[in-house]
Amino acid sequence: MKNNIIILFVSIFFLVAFKPLNGFEKQIIKEIEKTFLINDFSTASISVTNNLKNELPLNITDSNFKKIISNKNAIGYYYTGKAFGKVDYFDYLVIFNLNLSIKKIKILAYREDRGGEIGSKRWLKQFVGKTHLNSFEYNKDIMGISGATISAKSITNQLDKLMKTIQILQLKKLL
Amino acid sequence: MNLNKKGMIKVTISAIILLLSLHGFAQTKTDGLQQNSGQRILGNVTTSGVTIGGYAQIDYNDPDGKEVGNLDVHRLVMLLGYKFNEKVSFLTEIEYEHVKEAVVEQAYIQYKATNKMSVLAGLMLVPMGIINEYHEPTTYYGVERPNVDKYIVPTTWREIGIGINGTLDNVSLKYQAYLFNGFSSYNNGVGLLRGVDGLRKGRQKGAESNISSPNFSTKLDFYGIQGLRLGVSGYFGRTQTDDTTLEDSTIGVKILGFDARYRYQKFEFRGQFITTTLSDTEKYNVLTGKDIGSKMYGFYGEVAYSFNLKGVEKITPFLRYEKYNTQAETEGSLAKNLAYNKNELLFGFNYKVANGAAFKVDYQLVNNAVLGSNTTKQFNAGVALWF
Repeated sequence: MKNNIIILFVSIFFLVAFKPLNGFEKQIIKEIEKTFLINDFSTASISVTNNLKNELPLNITDSNFKKIISNKNAIGYYYTGKAFGKVDYFDYLVIFNLNLSIKKIKILAYREDRGGEIGSKRWLKQFVGKTHLNSFEYNKDIMGISGATISAKSITNQLDKLMKTIQILQLKKLL
Repeated sequence: MNLNKKGMIKVTISAIILLLSLHGFAQTKTDGLQQNSGQRILGNVTTSGVTIGGYAQIDYNDPDGKEVGNLDVHRLVMLLGYKFNEKVSFLTEIEYEHVKEAVVEQAYIQYKATNKMSVLAGLMLVPMGIINEYHEPTTYYGVERPNVDKYIVPTTWREIGIGINGTLDNVSLKYQAYLFNGFSSYNNGVGLLRGVDGLRKGRQKGAESNISSPNFSTKLDFYGIQGLRLGVSGYFGRTQTDDTTLEDSTIGVKILGFDARYRYQKFEFRGQFITTTLSDTEKYNVLTGKDIGSKMYGFYGEVAYSFNLKGVEKITPFLRYEKYNTQAETEGSLAKNLAYNKNELLFGFNYKVANGAAFKVDYQLVNNAVLGSNTTKQFNAGVALWF
C-alpha cells in the first residue's frame, strides 16, 4: 500500500508540475485563431448604455462580448460567460460568425467533480449554426447527457439567454 | 378489514398523484425560466466559498399480505462543500439513515491539476454501474434504488482512497481510477460476508476501517453518441482482515460492470449488468462458517416515457425488470440457496413537480427460484428531493 501511494504521488507531481492550467486569455486567443484559421486578430468592445443593460437577459460588459477583427475587417464575435453546475461555476466561450450564428462553443474551465461531460466536442456541436431564431429547449432541441443533466441544462439555458440578448442588441443596431 | 384499509391507502396515494399530474396537463405551458442554483452559494464562489445542498428520500412500503406498512425517512443527506481556490475544493455528504443513524457518505478533497485531470483523496464513491455514483433519488425512477444496486453493487458503496479522474473532450470520454480500501471480510474473530447479501456487510464506509491490501477501481464512460452514455467499470483486489496470520480470512474480489443509458426525446432506457467473481471462498466459508458464493451477478433493464405537463412538471410511467443472484456459483460442498436467485418486475410512475422534487409510486413483484415459492408483492410510494 505505502509503495503504491508513493508511486501515485510522484507520478501525479510530475504530471502536474509540467502541465499548469491555462489562463483563459491564452485559451481564448488560441480558440479564435483555430476557429477562423487566422494568425493574428484584434478585438473591439460593444458599447451598451446602462439603460439598455437593464433590459438584457445577460449582462454585457466591455470585456465579455467582443467583435473579432482581422485585417481591418470584422469577421465575428465572441462571448465568455459563467454558468452554474451543481456546486460550482464553469466558464465557457462562444464564438460567433459575423451573422451571429454560433460557430463554436468551448468549456474553458470546469471545476466540479461531476458534469464535466458537457465539454464534449460532439455534444457542443449541437449548438453550432444556431441563431436567435432557433429554440434552445433542453431535451427537445438540445439532447441532454445522462450523468451531466444539471450542467447541460444550465449551459443550454445560458445560451438561450445569450441568444435573446443578441436579438435585442441586433434590434438596437449595436451589432 | 385491515387489508381493506391498506388497500385504500394505496388507491388514495396513487389517485392523488395522478390527479395532481392531470391538473398539470390542463395548463401546459413551457416556462423557460430556471432557478439559479447560485443562490445556494454563500460568499463569492468564483474564487472561494461554501456550498450547501442535500437530498432526501421518504418512503411508504407496503408488502402485500402483511397487516402493517412501513413509513420511513429513509435518507436525509446534507451536502456541504467548500471551495478553497480555483483548483482546490472539498465536498462532504452527511447522511441520516432512518432518522437515527448518522453516517458520512462522502468527504473528499479535489485538486484540479489540469483541465483534463483532477486528483481526489478521502472518502469517495466507488464507480460501479449507474446508481452508486448517481444515487440521489431524483435521478432514478422507482421509490427504492434497484435491488441489483443493493445486493450486487452494495450501494452506497464508499471507502477511503486516492485517485484521479477527468474528462477528455475530444473523444467524449470520462475516466476514473482509484486505489480504495477494500471490503472487510473478517473482524474480531467473525466473518462478515454471507450468501444473502454478498459483499454488503463488508463495507467499511471509512469508519475506523482496516486495511491489509489496497483495491483498484476504474471506470470509463463514453458519451460521444447523442443521447447515449455507455460505461465499463472494474474493481479488483482482496478483502481486508484484522488478523493477517489467518490467510483464509480474506477472499479475492473481481467485479465487472457494464451500463448504458439512452434517451431519445421523451423515451428513456437504462440498463446494467454486473458480474462478481470471488476466489478462495471455500477456505473462507470453512474458517468463518459463512456461505458466501463464488460468483454473483445481476442485471436490469428499464424503459420510461415522459409526458410534459405545465412548466417543468412531468409524469413518467416506467417499467423495470431485474434479475440477480448472490450465489450463482458456490465452491466446495456449499449448496446454492435458490432463494438468493431472484427476479423482479417493477412498474409505476414518477411525478416530477420541480427540478429536484418528485412524487413516486410503484408496484414490485419479486420471484425466487425455490420450487413452489410465491411471488412477493409490494406497493411503494415516496417523496424524492434533491437541491
